[in-house]
Amino acid sequence: MERAFYLDKDKCEGCTNCMRKCPTEAIRLVDDKAAINDDKCIHCGECIRVCPYNAYNPLTNRKDDISKEKFSIVIPSTAVYGQFHIGTEICNIHRALLSLGFDYVYDESWAAELLSLAVKNRVSQLKDIRPIINSNCPAVVRLIKVKYPALLDNILLIESPMEISALLARKNAKELFNIKEEDIEVFYISPCPAKAISVHKPVGTEHSKIDKVISLKEIFGDLIREMKMQKDICFSNPSLKGLKWTVSGGQCEACEIDNSIAVSGIENVLNILEEIENGKLDHIDFVELMACNESCLGGQFNFENPFVAKNNINYIIKTTDTSTILIDDLGRFDEFEKAGLFNMEIRLTDNGNAGLSLKAAVERLDRVEKIWKALPKLDCGSCGAPTCRALAEDIVDGFATIDDCVILKIKK
Amino acid sequence: MAELIKIFEYEVIANDFNIAGTASSAIKRNLKQLGISPVIVRRVSIISYEAEINIIIHSNGGNIYLEIYDDKLTLRAYDNGPGIKNLELAMTEGFSTASNAARELGFGAGMGLPNMKKNSDAFKISSTEEGTKIDIDINIE
Repeated sequence: MERAFYLDKDKCEGCTNCMRKCPTEAIRLVDDKAAINDDKCIHCGECIRVCPYNAYNPLTNRKDDISKEKFSIVIPSTAVYGQFHIGTEICNIHRALLSLGFDYVYDESWAAELLSLAVKNRVSQLKDIRPIINSNCPAVVRLIKVKYPALLDNILLIESPMEISALLARKNAKELFNIKEEDIEVFYISPCPAKAISVHKPVGTEHSKIDKVISLKEIFGDLIREMKMQKDICFSNPSLKGLKWTVSGGQCEACEIDNSIAVSGIENVLNILEEIENGKLDHIDFVELMACNESCLGGQFNFENPFVAKNNINYIIKTTDTSTILIDDLGRFDEFEKAGLFNMEIRLTDNGNAGLSLKAAVERLDRVEKIWKALPKLDCGSCGAPTCRALAEDIVDGFATIDDCVILKIKK
Repeated sequence: MAELIKIFEYEVIANDFNIAGTASSAIKRNLKQLGISPVIVRRVSIISYEAEINIIIHSNGGNIYLEIYDDKLTLRAYDNGPGIKNLELAMTEGFSTASNAARELGFGAGMGLPNMKKNSDAFKISSTEEGTKIDIDINIE
């Protein structure tokens, strides 16, 4: 599996919208249809967002994939809690998931609360690295790998709430229900393609602790139906600190890092990474970078408008009766931290140009410049490359010819 | 003897904050395309950004040259005056002569020159009323 979404070629009109919005210039038009370069794709899903023809569709598991033989655990992303009408109890959402055939629901917010402590500690320990960049948005981590590799050392090597949830949920299933490891199957309800693909191709750990992913949109209708049938009220048991991670800036707040900035939205993230690379933010302790506007609530697999969803989440945080909340694994933080439970690795991939000698690379660049000067600089995308510069590079690398430029052809 | 492969030249205009960062962005983009190691790119980014901002804030304008050798990069920031009155003081962390207008934009913390020196392998600066010349080497081998 390469991506958690696919292009329906029949729906693709070759309009160039996705190609021009792609933050890593990973898209070209091939035979008038969008084609994604997997070496450059960071799975941010901007293409899904901007496509006027809904040609990009989620490619995740379905409700039918819930196995009857296995003990099925489900972890809804905390973003899921923002998708329902204001005042919806989290516990009603959990019940709806159980009625769909899952055996156990683990609340991601508890993992986020544990990680808040881990992040806080780590940021104060690692005084030599500034600013420290969060690692829980896989699209941002991939963006740094592809475009800003000099900043890889700034990434906080702490696993995401998603992975830690799966770890703790498995532990609970074994300890509380006496289930064997091999009989457990873990599902994640994902707000975005970046998290969904991380289950199959993690940016951190060797193997994800999650087995299957369902996009929120895929299961949303079923959840609404199940929730309508529920009659009784139940009490929710979320971590309020952990829930904050769902909204932009919430991670900084939950981790109690005062000298920090929160940035959401891919273009804002690109700008701030440029600043960090220029050494302009060395006085900041922590930056929370999330690829979607309004953090995970802006994920492309969500149903609700991110701003409405934010209000829903904040309402839960404000109105939850804290006296009913049970503290699950929090007491074991020190034990977990000592065991290295939260640690993450980032595996490096090769750089594109690494094979060329410096001299050859300079010659290549000179040729790119020369061709670029001859191009119209309209960045119209008609040639099938996102910018005139990208076309010039494609020509030099042998993937296109100058005849691909429609404007030059007309002028002739 | 190091072999010179290429020279890039960038003009920097005095007091023009609208295009502040253009030269250093271009330098960064070019170095990345040349496959220069990320750590080196970051060091050059910091140096060239500081150099560019210095020329914009303090000088009557000037040029930045990036020379690519097979074993090092040389960055030259040459401006057209009026020069630095006290070089020793200018190299001190926290010392700044930046105008209030520049400080309001977040510049002029007095870390520019020390920061540039910190990130270079060889650092040379000279200054007269005709202009300031900074020559910096960053080894790439």
